[in-house]
Amino acid sequence: MHRDEHADEPVGDSGCTEYRQLSRRRFLSTTARVSAAAAIFPSWLPRITLAQHYSSSRDVMVSVFMRGGVDGLAMVIPFTDPLYYSLRPTIRTPAPDSLAANKAIALDNFFAFPPAMQGLLPAYYEQDLLVMHAVGQLTNNSRSHFDAQRYMEVGKPVDPDLTSGWLGRHLASVPPLQKDAKLRGVGIGSGLAKTLVGGPKTLPIADPANHTIGGSASTRAERSALLAANYAETNDPLKSSALDALNTIDLLSSLNFNGYVPSNGVTYPNTSFGRALRAVAVLIKADIGIEAASVDIGGWDTHASQDPNGGQMFNNMLGFSTALGVFWADVIATDYPVTTVALSEFGRNAKENGSAGTDHGRATAMFAMGKQIAGGRVLTAGWPGLAPEQLESRQDLRVTLDYRDVLAEIVSRRLENSNLGFVFPGWTPTFRGVTR
Amino acid sequence: MQAQTEVARGTGAASRRDFLKRVVGKAETAGLSETAYSDAMVAAPEGWRDPQIRLLRRATMGLQVSDVLNVRRQGYQSWLNEQVNFTRINDAAVEAAVAARYPMLSQSPIELAVANSGTLRGQLQDATLYRAAFSQRQLYERMVEFWSDHFNISIIKVGYLKAIDDREVIRKHAMGKFSDLLKASARSPAMLAYLDQNLSRAGSPNQNYVRELMELHTLGVDGGYTETDVAQLARVFTGWSFTGAGEFTFNASRHDFGAKTVLGVQIPAASPATGAAGVNEGELMLDVLINHPSTGRFLATKMLKWLLTPEPTETQINAIAGAYRATGGDIKRMVRAILNEQWVSSAPVKLKRPFHLVASGLRATNATVSSASSLTAQVRILGQPLFQYETPDGYSDLMEFWVGNVTPRWSFGTTLANFNSAANTVVDVAPYLAGTPDAAIDKIQSDFFGGELALSTREQLLTYVRSGTFNAARVRETIALALCSFEFQWY
Repeated sequence: MHRDEHADEPVGDSGCTEYRQLSRRRFLSTTARVSAAAAIFPSWLPRITLAQHYSSSRDVMVSVFMRGGVDGLAMVIPFTDPLYYSLRPTIRTPAPDSLAANKAIALDNFFAFPPAMQGLLPAYYEQDLLVMHAVGQLTNNSRSHFDAQRYMEVGKPVDPDLTSGWLGRHLASVPPLQKDAKLRGVGIGSGLAKTLVGGPKTLPIADPANHTIGGSASTRAERSALLAANYAETNDPLKSSALDALNTIDLLSSLNFNGYVPSNGVTYPNTSFGRALRAVAVLIKADIGIEAASVDIGGWDTHASQDPNGGQMFNNMLGFSTALGVFWADVIATDYPVTTVALSEFGRNAKENGSAGTDHGRATAMFAMGKQIAGGRVLTAGWPGLAPEQLESRQDLRVTLDYRDVLAEIVSRRLENSNLGFVFPGWTPTFRGVTR
Repeated sequence: MQAQTEVARGTGAASRRDFLKRVVGKAETAGLSETAYSDAMVAAPEGWRDPQIRLLRRATMGLQVSDVLNVRRQGYQSWLNEQVNFTRINDAAVEAAVAARYPMLSQSPIELAVANSGTLRGQLQDATLYRAAFSQRQLYERMVEFWSDHFNISIIKVGYLKAIDDREVIRKHAMGKFSDLLKASARSPAMLAYLDQNLSRAGSPNQNYVRELMELHTLGVDGGYTETDVAQLARVFTGWSFTGAGEFTFNASRHDFGAKTVLGVQIPAASPATGAAGVNEGELMLDVLINHPSTGRFLATKMLKWLLTPEPTETQINAIAGAYRATGGDIKRMVRAILNEQWVSSAPVKLKRPFHLVASGLRATNATVSSASSLTAQVRILGQPLFQYETPDGYSDLMEFWVGNVTPRWSFGTTLANFNSAANTVVDVAPYLAGTPDAAIDKIQSDFFGGELALSTREQLLTYVRSGTFNAARVRETIALALCSFEFQWY
């Protein structure tokens, strides 16, 4: 990627001139320019001042949301904790030193991956993958998927009045990586993930390879011009979405998604998650100024039949680790400046239920991956333990590491954004050594 | 913490309303609004003046010439009353077409259990779109869509059972009593399978269904229940299951007959000899949930958001929750109260979701649909494949979620306007070509927009149709642009 070419230029485009002097108060008082932005960035958010200069070393952020509440105790098993096996009599992975064929693969002396997670082992052994455990939202103990996802993505649990997402606010509080970037943030999907809401030049795109208004090529320019004029007459947020979309059509049609050949001889699995990561890889390598991407992988709400060695958790973990492992080989192992995180709204009960599944719990596992991530180890802020008195409500793995500590360190050190009070309002992060 | 949350929410609502007072007319693009997704309200275009047309936008799947004529003839209240009392509307033609084209929808569970699941899914999706587009019972179809999300079930997980749920739960009670709807849903094999209730048993209950029963179906997430209530309610519903024949059954041998307390209601221990009567515990709790004050409020808020405005006021919520209480959860009465002329006339716009957009395109263009499958494919491409949403919250109705998906909307408009296959779908352009180019735009203005089209959009379309040879290709492109215009995205 050619970051250096803009390294010392001042911020040029008009939107950013305004960002530079961004004052929430001023926004609200300027009634003539009132817009949906006021609802997205409420007045109490800290005042921010944008840097004048481009950075040469900021990473692209790829945020993977594992929707449904990942069973962290199945994904990263604490095999040395004897209580793990008594809490999980049927849905368990044998310890690494067992003779079973489906035994776990040790990550250290305490934690191990089940076989379905082996797609991520190369990244782990290369010390690019950091595994974290007992992670979650310290300030929100909701076991509702939808509340927990919302506040995790908003980045301020629990504040129902904040509608933008943490990654959207990150984009809004740094100058663009490329001066004239038409697309800075992309969510792979038909709707925009909350994580990215509020990001300038940010769109949900389900299929970047087919991003067109269609119809006859000979009249397309004329029709596009009409749409641009038409949508200039409507209100936000539809107006700005439409104008951003028009600006990206030619850009995306110039990229060769279908003919893309990943590096290192790897092939993305033909799953929705695999296809999404492949599209993100194309967008990153095309060097068009993408700074943030959001990708979802669902299916983690494993209330039943979640067998980690053949059931739903097996399939989920295999799909997750395979595609993310390919993304590592294709993009991160080839030194593209990318940091990837994978997180979930909560974990699941420590004890399995009667349907060979698990109900909603608290802490879970989380992942960060990148050349500048201090990987090759499992990080906790203290293992909370699995004894009844150690569990939250005597049933759930306790949260000892707040996910915002992890993200804030990455936002600060890898995305070079010092406006942490804007990205994670109300949270004073402790850096945990996530980055190198 | 709960109290703090409530305070915070109250303050936020007020400040948002202050903000909204200022969002009238055209908003300027401020720096940060380059991509300003928000669930904030957007004022209706200035040209949307006629209350009757505004009612049609709110209460139908899109404007159609015949509805415009009907509402003009009947007047606002009479048209609304007829739509609410939907069984009085003769819909025989559409039902006959559905019965002929999608025969699997009327088959018994036994027949469906062995049917081809892909064919069944296709018939259910196609029939749903066909009815939404062409049924005379438009408001009823809007409520079918609402409850299909409220009681969302993924057909990917439950297969043919969803087709039975659609028929026996959603469509049967969409405009009936909420109590009947909830009780039918609680006994629906599709719901029991979707949320793993059939696997729950004494000693190790499964919480999946009962949590969503309170969070999503009745009380709402802030409705005042605790994690203990979830765990206790899970015990109450142990044994609720279904047979291989797709029928509800209460399996007493799996029921936990011990004492429970849920939401302050004490259920005493019973002898296992109670047997089948153990189902009464769950029935009791359904009644408790139906009569809980949080339920009326939660449903009132959600229905107001669906039918009227993204940000209902306290006054509106109280009024509709009051209607819920006063009528024993009569959905008809709630819907009629929401769609009063005063509220509808001053409502902000909402953004059509993909399914709504596709149905409204078919209505505006008066398309002849021989096979709906390529249209349900469009709904899928736009991001809303019917009955395939994975999680129980149903498809989002938030503008911020859907508004960035503009390019696929334009692509859809282009695709629809160019449909000209007798075996599939035909948009007939002969009526547009019968007169002058200006008359073609007049027809678009009246058929697509109930006559209310911004002067600027009208000028843009006029310029476009005049600037080339006036032929079918030019007219189709003009129709496409009308379908792609901003005014066609709002309702």
